[in-house]
Amino acid sequence: MDKRRYFTRKVLNAVLTIILVACFNFMLFRILPGNPARLLLPKGHYSALALEKQMKVFHLDRPLWQQFGYYWVDTLKGNFGDSYAQHQPVIQVVGRALVPTLVLVGVGTLFATIIGIVVGVIAGWRRNHAFDITATNLGMILYSMPTFWVAMLFILYFSVKLGWFPTGRMADVGAVYTGFVDRAGQFVHHLFLPAFVFAITYAAEYELIMRSSITGVMNEDYALTARAKGLSPNKVLWGHVVPNAMLPSVTLIMMNFGFVLSGAILVETVFNWPGLGLLAYNSMLARDYPVMQAVFLLASVAVILFNLIADVMYYYLDPRVKA
Amino acid sequence: MSPGTIPARLKRWIFFWTPLTWLVLELIMFPKDRPLSSGLANVMGGFVDKRIGSYPAWTLWASAIVLVVAGVRARRTQEEDSRVPRVLFAMAVVTSIWAWAQMGFTQLDLSGRESGYSWLFQSVLVVLAAVLVWVWAAEHPERTELAIWNTREIWRLYRASWQGILGLSILLFFAAMALLAPFLASHAWLSPNAQVSQTGFAAPSLHPYLLWFGSDEQGLSVLAEFVWSARISLFVGLLATLITTVVGAGAGIFTGYYGSWIGEVGMRIVDVFLVLPWLPFAMVLAAAWGQNYAIIILVIAFTSWAGTARVVRAGVLSVKESPFVERARAIGSSNVHIMGKHILPNVMPLIFANAVLTVAIAVFAETTLSFLGLGDPLNFSWGTMLEHVFNAGATQVPSATAYLLAPGIAVVLLVLAFNLMGTSFDEVLDPKLRRREDSGGEIHLRDDTAPPVPVWAGAGGDAGGASLSGDGGPGGLS
Repeated sequence: MDKRRYFTRKVLNAVLTIILVACFNFMLFRILPGNPARLLLPKGHYSALALEKQMKVFHLDRPLWQQFGYYWVDTLKGNFGDSYAQHQPVIQVVGRALVPTLVLVGVGTLFATIIGIVVGVIAGWRRNHAFDITATNLGMILYSMPTFWVAMLFILYFSVKLGWFPTGRMADVGAVYTGFVDRAGQFVHHLFLPAFVFAITYAAEYELIMRSSITGVMNEDYALTARAKGLSPNKVLWGHVVPNAMLPSVTLIMMNFGFVLSGAILVETVFNWPGLGLLAYNSMLARDYPVMQAVFLLASVAVILFNLIADVMYYYLDPRVKA
Repeated sequence: MSPGTIPARLKRWIFFWTPLTWLVLELIMFPKDRPLSSGLANVMGGFVDKRIGSYPAWTLWASAIVLVVAGVRARRTQEEDSRVPRVLFAMAVVTSIWAWAQMGFTQLDLSGRESGYSWLFQSVLVVLAAVLVWVWAAEHPERTELAIWNTREIWRLYRASWQGILGLSILLFFAAMALLAPFLASHAWLSPNAQVSQTGFAAPSLHPYLLWFGSDEQGLSVLAEFVWSARISLFVGLLATLITTVVGAGAGIFTGYYGSWIGEVGMRIVDVFLVLPWLPFAMVLAAAWGQNYAIIILVIAFTSWAGTARVVRAGVLSVKESPFVERARAIGSSNVHIMGKHILPNVMPLIFANAVLTVAIAVFAETTLSFLGLGDPLNFSWGTMLEHVFNAGATQVPSATAYLLAPGIAVVLLVLAFNLMGTSFDEVLDPKLRRREDSGGEIHLRDDTAPPVPVWAGAGGDAGGASLSGDGGPGGLS
């Protein structure tokens, strides 16, 4: 397919999906059963004045179609109203939580991807050998484990019983640091356990994807041909099998990146890690709808963007798309 | 007319499965609030308890209507002197009387669920269902033979994989635990004043068997909570899967069959649901709608039907081009007829294998949502137990290790069981993966128009599906 046409189509698709998701976000908080004002207005003791202000912020005093217009203007401007729980603009609250999440998810995903792909390749190559059987069964079991449960087990064992790691948070309360190195060391010390939990649960998934992809490719005719030509096993694996198997796996893993926030919610909740996930959890408990609305939109847009990136990568990785 | 003769094997099956089905259904209805010390006579009395009756009347009315419709259809399609419609009508009459009894005869309460004779109605219906199978089989000998052969063949292939057998065994274990819950630990042990230990977080001990897993933060029996949780976790998982599968398969067939703009628009909607990050979405819905299992079931169905739709659609796209569909269209069959009689049977294996994997997702999702505090606070599921573990800070208490381990291991085993079963079904039903030479009637389950997206891209995130279709590759390009 023509390059420009392919990209235009994919980008248009992504933009259209984002628009649909944003409309959905609007509906979710305004047209759901139950009074929209009840959802978007804080509960508890609020003065009539504060309520009126909140009504103004979300334009709930206007008819629905006007609300829809204002919703778009506000969303594009990044104006999501004020958080009830923290009495600050939502955009600030979310912005503050963004970096810790990106660090946790970034480090976790990096290790997950590397471990998952390497183990998956070896397991798929040495199919039904001891390594494969161990790795794949372990992967299956890890994949079936709820992330938050693994996190709690690790806290129980490594933090409480052995005392190797702190039980949570990004830094000890009232910690005093002697310098940058100390501070960085403390941070890594706190980061290790949550990132590790995050990494192994996702690594299991990636390992299974990669392994089945490798085994699939090894049954293809060109793999047989490569072997029949008398290439060394290493050459067959790295020259012919892996590049072809990487194709679907990498796009899939890329698409999965968009969903890591779901994992972050669980890990951050258990480890009390002050990121977007914990923010989502706390705002859910406090019924802090303005924050939930923003987090939900952000999470959806992340998925769509990573889907788009996967499509773009697909174009460059797979010559057949260009044909 | 004679009762008709049926194959001896089917006769044996009917005599085996009818009592078993009866027992399972009676156990589902068995009253929860048996006294704590129930002797055998008391236990047996539970089967004929006057208060039994756990299905709301409206579900019974719905079943009665379905039976009447089936009866009318059977009258049209079956032979002149067929007895199938008669049995169906009889079942409809029994169900209606039952529904009426549950409504309390005069109050007409559609949600009513108390009637003294539910056990009796249910028993009669089970027997009538067995009669229905018998009568149908006697009137259609060839199709019966074929069905028996198919069943045995599928079972033979399924049995060959140890994963499938392991998964099935785990499932049967938990199903038995859920059904026998009233006998294993009375429901009364769940009430807040039924302490089994002086202090919270008692360590596990052998002697009162209720302390096998220790006690929780209030001193209640963890074992009792564990046993009763099995019911909720399984029930929510299965019901959510049922809804997901019906909606998803319907949408998949519809969008796959209608390739024009209707299908395009449908597919766009499916796409939007595919990219919704399921956990934040579910949190929003559950937070807005409230905390009970009906909501959780709806939320799970709402966030996972699109994955099923996508997989089914890919199957439909390839079946659609088969000669038999073209033939049906050429002789003027209606679209509904083609979808129901030609497309659906051909994607059925795919739907079924997908449904088994969806149960794993649903159980996982229920656990996750309950852990986040969105479950029904009045009931126990394994997720709710883990929520209590977390909120009570049991991770800091070494004596509560069993309290943390038990529900988690149960979830892992159950999810693993369904994943294993799904993988085995994939192998049985996808001829490409069969370890036999024959590959007749092969269905390509791949959608060539889109980048390969296997089942696990479905609900995304943690519960993101689990098609580990062994050797098949993740929907690799064919």
